[in-house]
Amino acid sequence: MKSEELLRLARVLKIPLSKRAIRRSWLIEEILLEFERREPETAQARKLHSPAIQIEHLEKRFGSKVAVRDLELKVNPGEIVGLVGPNGAGKTTTLRILTGIIKPTRGAVKVNGFNMFSETVKAKHCIGYIPEKPTCYPSLTAREYIMFMSRIYDVPPEIALVRMRKYVDVFQLDEFLDAYIGTLSKGNLQRVLIVGIFVRNPPYVLALDEPIYGLDPRGAWNLKALIKRLRSEGSAVLISTHILEVAAELCDRFVIMNEGDVVGRGTLDTLLQYHKDARNLEEVFLGLTGGIPQ
Amino acid sequence: MKSRMYQLLWTEVRMLVNQFKQTITTPSMLFFYCVTVFGIFFVSMVVSSMLTLTPVFLQLGSVLEDIIDRGMLFAAIGLLSASSVVSGFFGLGPASGLTSIQENILLPAPVLPYQVFISNYVRRIVRRIVFVFLGMLAVLPLLTEANLLFFNASFLIMCFILLLETNYFLGAISSYIRIKIEQRTRSRLRFMVAALLGGITLLPVLPEFTSTFSLAFLVPSNAFTMVLTEMTGLFSLDISFIIGFELQFIVYMIAFLFTANICNYDYYEQFSLAKGRDESEGNFSRFARGEVDFSNTRFRDPMVWIMLKDFYTRLRSPFQIWKYVYVVAGTIFVVYLNVFRPEWFRSIQIPANLAFAIVPAFLLMMILLIQMSSVTSMLSFADEKENVYLLKASPFKTRDIVLAKFLLSLFEVGIAVIPACGLLIYILRIEGYLALITLAAPLTILFTAIGIAVGAYVPVLTNDPRTLPVPLAFSYPIINLSLGALMIAIVALFADSQNILEILPLYTISLTVLFLGIAAKAMNSYL
Repeated sequence: MKSEELLRLARVLKIPLSKRAIRRSWLIEEILLEFERREPETAQARKLHSPAIQIEHLEKRFGSKVAVRDLELKVNPGEIVGLVGPNGAGKTTTLRILTGIIKPTRGAVKVNGFNMFSETVKAKHCIGYIPEKPTCYPSLTAREYIMFMSRIYDVPPEIALVRMRKYVDVFQLDEFLDAYIGTLSKGNLQRVLIVGIFVRNPPYVLALDEPIYGLDPRGAWNLKALIKRLRSEGSAVLISTHILEVAAELCDRFVIMNEGDVVGRGTLDTLLQYHKDARNLEEVFLGLTGGIPQ
Repeated sequence: MKSRMYQLLWTEVRMLVNQFKQTITTPSMLFFYCVTVFGIFFVSMVVSSMLTLTPVFLQLGSVLEDIIDRGMLFAAIGLLSASSVVSGFFGLGPASGLTSIQENILLPAPVLPYQVFISNYVRRIVRRIVFVFLGMLAVLPLLTEANLLFFNASFLIMCFILLLETNYFLGAISSYIRIKIEQRTRSRLRFMVAALLGGITLLPVLPEFTSTFSLAFLVPSNAFTMVLTEMTGLFSLDISFIIGFELQFIVYMIAFLFTANICNYDYYEQFSLAKGRDESEGNFSRFARGEVDFSNTRFRDPMVWIMLKDFYTRLRSPFQIWKYVYVVAGTIFVVYLNVFRPEWFRSIQIPANLAFAIVPAFLLMMILLIQMSSVTSMLSFADEKENVYLLKASPFKTRDIVLAKFLLSLFEVGIAVIPACGLLIYILRIEGYLALITLAAPLTILFTAIGIAVGAYVPVLTNDPRTLPVPLAFSYPIINLSLGALMIAIVALFADSQNILEILPLYTISLTVLFLGIAAKAMNSYL
């Protein structure tokens, strides 16, 4: 961490800087102590409504084409649900409806107990979204974007700085913090978006569309570890992914979609029980979405 | 805690500041901006010395009063508002300002649609003001030569922008009306509402309402026309033009706040639907699409493959079909005009006292028309989008890619130039100087090569090859105007000498080769 940032943090955290000479190690220690003092307070501050995500009879039509048909889905706090399916199955449409970007043709969506279409701002306040194709303001620096997101989600500046530092270290973004987002690689852009989500107040309701996309193995490992930790802390996560290894490793339950319909759901054990020929999630998936190629 | 509105505005301004910082610290961007600003300055100096504008402007008022009447002026400007209302009805309204970035960042965030709209709009207006300011500075020699007061010219331009912005809001309101109607009925009769709204917008511009100062001047187009007439003295009613400006500003603010108020989540939906349509093939494209089978082609030249690929790709856009329709219909029309010289469409009779300015005006018009037609060439690389990297990685020589783009663009630009030039030689009859139209050919070749070079530079300056950076887009017409003016100057200088038959081709070919070389060099320097 640069000295300037240390001093900025110290000022925001109201650490007295009245000594004539300040040792760097002392300052880091004080800041870390302050971090510990502040973070637990906010982490325990709220609990999610159960279910955190509730989708009922969801249908979405684009003209005559049905993108999603009669989808029922619940994600409880402390649970990771995987939304898997081939291209064009309706996964991204589902996540876009869940996050309030588009409206359903029919059905209801609730996030943390708030209806997405009648209590929109409250519902959106609770949910974090990583899009399939990561995009962000190219003319902002990573630091500016993260702080912008913290302000939009009403996070006090000192808490935002603490969290930004924490997740910047987790995702090794330090050297890109003052780089313009337009100059970042896809992987680093994905990390910035992820930090932009985690700077908000936990526990989280997350809608992640291909979150591992573009991340290097270390970044992917860090993200998976973080998602698992968040689950144990009471967050609710809905992940849409093509990478079945990731889904199998992370998710407690699966919803398998094909051409807008739900063709399978349950835990891996339940799915394997119903599909006796299948040995793993990949084979269950292939069996449900057109058969296993010979 | 500051409000979300404040945070959104702050971030938009921050982005503008960062863009400015990036521009002044990136040599290539700075270079293109300098080319643009100094180029316009230089061109306006040349044009002002060529055209001696002061007498033209001094007589313009009386000439205009002879040619048109007051009602026609109000109607012409009223048509601008009416067309905004009609096109707005079929358009996206405020959703047209949304981007994929906002879709991913702000649309799922706890901000309200009107907040997104206002922050977008503030950014748009700040950018516009800065560009107008730079533009005004660059055309200072023209304004000075025309004996136009800088304040007056700036004020008039500001009022015109105010009119355009108000028209934008009227279009947005029109779009809102369509959404509300479509929520109730899908009958085809709903499109009649567009004509109705256009008619309502045009009603107050009738002479019955505008011949004296009345409430009809609250209509933005009337208010602007009032500013125009009262400032220039043309059809003046002897009322202070400031009143016109005040009326314009009041209606602008009302329209702005009204548009902000009607922004709701329907616009998110509109944006997503429009984006979906962009990414999928529309009914019209399916109808118009051509077929090309590369597996069974008699061509063995990669250049031809690239040209065929580009041709058929473009053909799948409705715009391209309309372009070909325009070329065919336009050519037939201008041939008809020039052969039969119909009574109902007379060419402009230039008054004797303005005859001295007609040749330069003709040349300037020709350069501008070819410039407008040649924009296609600048977009030939941008149209590739991310595929430009695929093209670069393909086993083709850079030279072949550039030449293929150039030849197809030359065809496209060439056919678009024919009706434009045909109309020009009919409207601006200049006895004894008709041969000047032959300069259209070297200008078309040169401008197309410049367009290819400028377009090839997009992936050098940015890692988003879909979007033309502002300095690049702006520098293109300036480079064209400068080199076009230089060509005209050379022709004027050697007009009496046989050497012109060597100098003109040499000038055109050497610059064309130079710009195509620059395009090839750009392709080899992609980010």
